Amino acid sequence: MEHEQKPQEHADTKIAASGDLSAAIDLLWIRFLPEIRKRVDLLKTAAAACAANALSADERGEAAAAAHKLAGSLGTFNLTHGTELAREYEVLASRDETLNAKAAKRLATIASELGILVEGRK
Amino acid sequence: MARKVLIIDDEDDIREVAALSLESVAGWEVVTASSGAQGLARAQEHKPDAILLDVMMPGMDGPSTFRELRNNPLTAKIPVLLLTAKVQNSDQRRFADLGVEAVLFKPFDPLTLSAQIASVLGWS
Repeated sequence: MEHEQKPQEHADTKIAASGDLSAAIDLLWIRFLPEIRKRVDLLKTAAAACAANALSADERGEAAAAAHKLAGSLGTFNLTHGTELAREYEVLASRDETLNAKAAKRLATIASELGILVEGRK
Repeated sequence: MARKVLIIDDEDDIREVAALSLESVAGWEVVTASSGAQGLARAQEHKPDAILLDVMMPGMDGPSTFRELRNNPLTAKIPVLLLTAKVQNSDQRRFADLGVEAVLFKPFDPLTLSAQIASVLGWS
C-alpha cells in the first residue's frame, strides 16, 4: 500500500491480506469511531439549537455536511439504516426554508437514532 | 500484472475502506490522495490504470479535479470514476455529463466495489 500510513494501518493491511476483509473493516471502524461520534454529536447539537430556534446558517450548513459524510460512510460499515437516517437529516437541513418545530423534532430523533446505531455496532 | 488504482477522497474512512477493499478483494495496487491537488500530483507520478474520484472535497472538488486531469496530456486518458453520496437525479445527470467513465455511489459495498469498477472498465 502506498498510502501515508499510520502504525495502525499496517495491522489493518495484514488482516486484509489474510482474506478477512470483514475483520479489517471492523478495525477501521474502531479507528474512525471517534470521528463518526463527533459527526453524530454535531447533528445532535444542531438539532437542539434548531429546537431552541437558535441554529445559525453556518451551523446548519456544518450539520448538513456532517450528515452527508455519515450518509456516505455508515452503509460502508454495514449500517445501511444509518445511511438512510443521515440522508434524511441532510435533506431536511439542506432545505431552503426555515426549519419549523416539526422538522426540529425530526432532526433530534434522527440524531438520537444515529447515536444508538453507531454505539450499537459490534 | 496487477492493476493500479488511485483513490482521491478527503474522507479518511472512505479512502481507507476503499483501499482495503481493492487491495484485499481484487489484489490491485492502490495509491491514495486526500485532496484534488494531491490527486493530480499522484496521478502524474504513478500513472494509475484508473482513478476513483470523490465529488465533494474542500478546495478543488471532484469535477474541477477531473477537468485538470483531462487538461494534462500525462493524465488525460486515465479512466475516471466519480464517487458520490449525492443521490438526486439532477446531480447524477450533471456528473455523468462531465465525461467520466461512470458514477459510483456511496455507501459502497467493500466486497463488490472492485467488481463494479472492473465491470465499468471492462477489466477481466
